[in-house]
Amino acid sequence: MTRVGDDKQSSAIEMRQEQRHLTDDELRDEVRNWLAANWIPGIDRAEWAELVVDAGWAVPSWEPEWYGRGLSDTQSRLVAAEFAAAGAPGTGHDRANLFACTVHDAGTDEQKRRLIPPSISGDSKWCLLYSEPGAGSDLAGLRTRAERDGDEWVINGQKVWTSFAASADYGMLVARTDWDVPKHQGISFFMLPMRQPGIEIRPIHQITGESEFNEIFIEDARVPAENLIGELNSGWSVLQTALAYERRFMGDLARTARDSRRPRAEKAHVLMDLARDAGRLGDPHIRQQIARVDALTTVNRWNTQRSRAAADRGEAATLMALGKVAMSRILHETARVETEIVGAEAMLAGPDNPVGDAVTFRTMNAYFTSIGGGTDQIQRNIIGERVLGLPKEPEPYRDTPFRDLPH
Amino acid sequence: MRSSAPFSVSDEQRALRNAVADVLARHSDEAQVRALMATDTGFDPVVWRELAAMGLTGLLIGEEYGGAGAGPVEMGIAMEEMGRALLVSPFLSTAVLVPSLLAEIGDPAECAAVLPRIAAGDLIAAVAFAEDGSARLPTTIATSAAAIGGAWHVTGYKHFVLDGQPANLLYILAGTDAGPAVFAVDAGAAGLDITLLTTVDPTRKQCRLQFVDTPARLVGRLGSGVQVFAAALDRSAVALLSEQAGGARRAVEMATEYAKTRYQFGRAIGSFQAVKHMCADMLLEAESAVSAARFVAGSFATQAPSRIADLALAQAYCSDAFVFVAATNIQVHGGIGFTWSHPAHLYLRRARSDAQLLGSPSWHRERYLQQIGA
Repeated sequence: MTRVGDDKQSSAIEMRQEQRHLTDDELRDEVRNWLAANWIPGIDRAEWAELVVDAGWAVPSWEPEWYGRGLSDTQSRLVAAEFAAAGAPGTGHDRANLFACTVHDAGTDEQKRRLIPPSISGDSKWCLLYSEPGAGSDLAGLRTRAERDGDEWVINGQKVWTSFAASADYGMLVARTDWDVPKHQGISFFMLPMRQPGIEIRPIHQITGESEFNEIFIEDARVPAENLIGELNSGWSVLQTALAYERRFMGDLARTARDSRRPRAEKAHVLMDLARDAGRLGDPHIRQQIARVDALTTVNRWNTQRSRAAADRGEAATLMALGKVAMSRILHETARVETEIVGAEAMLAGPDNPVGDAVTFRTMNAYFTSIGGGTDQIQRNIIGERVLGLPKEPEPYRDTPFRDLPH
Repeated sequence: MRSSAPFSVSDEQRALRNAVADVLARHSDEAQVRALMATDTGFDPVVWRELAAMGLTGLLIGEEYGGAGAGPVEMGIAMEEMGRALLVSPFLSTAVLVPSLLAEIGDPAECAAVLPRIAAGDLIAAVAFAEDGSARLPTTIATSAAAIGGAWHVTGYKHFVLDGQPANLLYILAGTDAGPAVFAVDAGAAGLDITLLTTVDPTRKQCRLQFVDTPARLVGRLGSGVQVFAAALDRSAVALLSEQAGGARRAVEMATEYAKTRYQFGRAIGSFQAVKHMCADMLLEAESAVSAARFVAGSFATQAPSRIADLALAQAYCSDAFVFVAATNIQVHGGIGFTWSHPAHLYLRRARSDAQLLGSPSWHRERYLQQIGA
């Protein structure tokens, strides 16, 4: 897969470097022309991926020497929009591919050449091995251990809340490599090969009845030393890089989801229809609550619009930070009002009782947002500290070796 | 681009905000607020002239009548700043409600006679529409007007009249044989009795008017009184949203500043999550109120078809948000927040008053539902 250095790749790089300062319109034309010339619906996936990667469209905002086209982030999104319009996959790895982004930012040249091409062409998949049963909000308290053994590291521990573990080739792993220093300073970041005997994947049965996540039991699994990303014991800062990409991508997803949502008048009909069906649309108490939920949803949309229009980055960041807490409240309140509307039906579940079943599902699934990706309480700390500038909690164990922490 | 248009800000609008903030910093600090709130009129002629000289009293008044011909977005900017500063002034009545009412009535003679004087800062005027039991328009109007020998006279009463005390001119909603109509009454008219009400919010003056065969002048058409007043209240509510948002933002700042500087147990209280989370929740409410106020101002500026639904939803939201933030600010302040000498309670008083002034939150929620067809 590695092509850096061969003639084809070099000429492609030169070509791309010449095209660095295109206007948006020129770029749009170029993408459209390229798609028109190359995209065939139903084309073999691998063949298509190779075309996209070779043309630099997989990661348009990266440097030409690293598979990109040196475009701005904004122009990379423009490329993504053109691909999406054509129904063509394969671009956007510079935002959505957390594995490739992390290697790109924190890896060595050798790691980039070895790990990035298969990832951005879709040949290798990845999953996240961050959280542990004992390390949720306090992720730096992780206890999965990595111990050096020759050219390899031996991993033992347990990870949770991993999506797509079964199909992953690599796990983006944070593990403890030094127990005698404070917790943030003894963590290293590895790309752990997932397809090996020491890794057992078990689905987590969620309160909604679904299983979107797994827990991963790791027993004497091995990772080659060349898959250590960043310096030994500097994994916390590599993780921050990976998390920043993840937050940015989640923000993109949330905005896209909001964009595609139906306008308010239609949306209100979900609660209104439920109330009408339950014969409660005339109930002033229910009516008030429906209007309250609509207000939460609507002001959140207005906040999003304001954050996008804001010339002031601080204003935009403030509104973005508030969005998660706002969304949690919307989901919990919507489910609460639905529960109040359907009343006793909320006791029943299963396919025979679709009304109660759906309401309970939404009630339970609201926790996905208020806990997942950092609880609302952690988010309020972030708002308080980073937006409002309030002081952090004192950290009595800041300088304590991890080994000596109470747990 | 289209979806963000309501929130775009021009250089002129930024300059307006700075200018208003600047004049209020000079004329509406806490000491000045407290001095004015202790008066019956809540009116400082020196400050008023300066507001007029800056074009603020004529902001909503057309250029043909000596005003700035600006719209709800500019008024929102001014009102956000006034809300922050808790300005004590007959601004909402004279510079918002009256121009809005006259714009709805659309009588050129009345506009020409009154609006230039408001823009110039020479006239304080108020509107009187509510009666007992509701701050909204009454469903049946107890106050009546009759023509006696070709001259109109009003008999009855009006309640919750904003800035009736300092006003030179009052616009009254009264019933007639030909339907409700708007009448102008001079402050010194015979048979008019003005009683100051004791308000929870001393920064906003209200009174009760009693009329006994009080001479009045018909303004606009007989039968149109309720429609023009209702529309004027909507235009004015847009401005009230901004006042609420601005006040809410200030309350968040007060709480945050205090949480950073107040030490207990050897640490700033803002480092305790119990306090920090209150501040975060306050910020969400205040910023959401700002977004709502600005969106609705834009919605009215562009005459968006959804503007009444937007307004009703936002009025309920901003009212609740300002009350929540102002109340939580007191809690964050602890003991000092329970004292009269600390300004935290003044914001709660304003918030509670604003939340009723043009209709209660639940009234607005019901209106919203009816607007969207529920």
